[in-house]
Amino acid sequence: MSYFFQIVVSGIVVGSIYALAALGLVLVYKSSRVANFAHGQIIAAGAFITFFLTVRVGVPIFLAFLASMIITFFLAMSVERIFLRRLIGEPIISVIMVTIGLASIIDGLIYLTPFGSENFSFPAFLPEDSLSLGGVSISWTQLVGLMITTLLIGAFSWFFKKSTVGISMRAVSDDQFGAMSVGISVPRVFGLAWATAGLSAAAAGCIIGNITGLNFETLHAFGIVVFPVVILGGLDSILGAVVAGIIMGLIQQFAGGYLDGNFGLHGTGNVMPYIILLIILLFKPHGLFGIHEIERV
Amino acid sequence: MSVNTWLATGNFNTTYRQEQKTFVTSLDRSIFTLFLLTLFAWPVFFPISQKYMLVVDNILVAIVAVMGLNLLLGFAGLISIGHAAFIGIGAYTVASFSRTLGDSHVIVTHFWPVLILLAGFMGALFGAIVGLPALRLKHLYLAIATLSFQMIFQWVINFMSFFNQGQTIYVGRVFWFTGEIGRNQHYMFWYYIILTLVVLMGFGVRNLLKTRYGRSLVAVRDNDRAADAMGMNPGLTKVYAFALAGFFAGVAGALHAYLYRGIGFESFTLHQSVGYLAMAIVGGLGTLNGSFWGPVAIKYLDIQMEHLAEFAGHYMVQASNLSTALKPLSFGLVIVLFLMFEPRGIANWWRIAKSYTKLWPFRY
Repeated sequence: MSYFFQIVVSGIVVGSIYALAALGLVLVYKSSRVANFAHGQIIAAGAFITFFLTVRVGVPIFLAFLASMIITFFLAMSVERIFLRRLIGEPIISVIMVTIGLASIIDGLIYLTPFGSENFSFPAFLPEDSLSLGGVSISWTQLVGLMITTLLIGAFSWFFKKSTVGISMRAVSDDQFGAMSVGISVPRVFGLAWATAGLSAAAAGCIIGNITGLNFETLHAFGIVVFPVVILGGLDSILGAVVAGIIMGLIQQFAGGYLDGNFGLHGTGNVMPYIILLIILLFKPHGLFGIHEIERV
Repeated sequence: MSVNTWLATGNFNTTYRQEQKTFVTSLDRSIFTLFLLTLFAWPVFFPISQKYMLVVDNILVAIVAVMGLNLLLGFAGLISIGHAAFIGIGAYTVASFSRTLGDSHVIVTHFWPVLILLAGFMGALFGAIVGLPALRLKHLYLAIATLSFQMIFQWVINFMSFFNQGQTIYVGRVFWFTGEIGRNQHYMFWYYIILTLVVLMGFGVRNLLKTRYGRSLVAVRDNDRAADAMGMNPGLTKVYAFALAGFFAGVAGALHAYLYRGIGFESFTLHQSVGYLAMAIVGGLGTLNGSFWGPVAIKYLDIQMEHLAEFAGHYMVQASNLSTALKPLSFGLVIVLFLMFEPRGIANWWRIAKSYTKLWPFRY
């Protein structure tokens, strides 16, 4: 039984990270209807900036964490300004391909630095031992990661519900012309959405990097793994991203914990989210919390 | 009635047959025939090394694959991020024959045209199955469904010992009427086979687009509700578009297997899928000749980047890092720049050049 609860706990930890990583994607999709395939690369960039600042420059880690969030904030904003502003109103495949191209460019840029090929890890700043509660253990890095994630998701939800900028973002996602007519600058909202997505990506990158170690391949793979999460959650719902993130985390951990090794299977944790996604999409084509758009000829 | 195209100011077709002609004038037809003859004749007069012949063959295989993707993406407007997986289905159809029967069994080596066709149908079958969600899903949801297929395919290949866990599965040398195709003729032989297939399939696509089946693809792309109202079945059309793309991909996969005489899973990853998408877009979506330009451009870029990395390696220390960095960098830049400045692809340049030379001394 404690094995079961252990898997539940690690599923929730992994799931909350998925939720945080998915948040950035949902933010961008919600306001500008762009699916960002370069999200994994921004996650990796954020993690490497933090690493560079702490280890090579010598900034305290929490300060570096904040600094990298601010840097990716402006980085993502400029990406939107340079590349995606021109593509407003283009067909969806063009926009998808531009973000794929961007992912490729950032890949190339990171491969130019030593971060592209080697493994790194953040200096340890938390106790090495793990907390144990009734046979279920959780390490300090996981616990702190979970706490920061919950805090950030809460902050983003508040931001969307209450702040003026958040409300204008929701207005743009609801109806662009309507938003314009009440004096909201739509391009500015797009830029801000990208910027906040970059910020959340950096946070996710640091937390993932702290738990799994810094390796470019694993970090940017998160950009793809996050897609089943957002599609399951319904692409434009923050609540959906959180719920779907935790569902996917649990599915992954349960598949890895119970299926691997039995029936001669292995690596099921990585493929199970996609299988479950396909099955759910057959019954709910707009995900769990997605809005069913009414189309007219 | 023959029309002097030099004097004509527009299209004056009076029957549907006239509109359906592939070549408008006999001059068009002669130019095209001449071009085809050059394509078939040049390796005889200007032989190139095995290494570059392989590159040329590779481009031709990619053309077959991209023709299918272009039908799906450009004409039917359905996004597929799993095209490499369909190509993999074709390749692994051939591989499973060589795996169960032995890599130089008579079926693999003598009946390869049958196997290529069979691979095409397997691709079509899987295409139709993967296309089933298209009955309900749209846009991004559909794109992610195809992404899921890609991921599941990769996992299955890596997991099953029948597929050698993704390690190389060998395919034997094929036989022609003259006997076994040896090492020296291998790439030349496949050049002619693939070129013939490309020409046949190109005509197939060109003619398909003039029938109701091709037109229904375009109608569904432009507005599936309107197409529904006009009596087409959008759901069935989408599944059929996926099956068509799967067929082309399956054939390309089988050709890939025979060309390399072996199959490894690394030729069918998500990265390759993105590469095919890039080829289709750089070539020009929704045009037939775009499917020819795209693979040529992207493969040429690849080779040039390899040369550049090699050249820069003489002057810089981190040579290996540089070559891994330059490829994605140049690839991404090409995609982004094309989408930003020439979304209609190289095919549009071709169109401009053609209309310019047609009217040459005069302008609009």
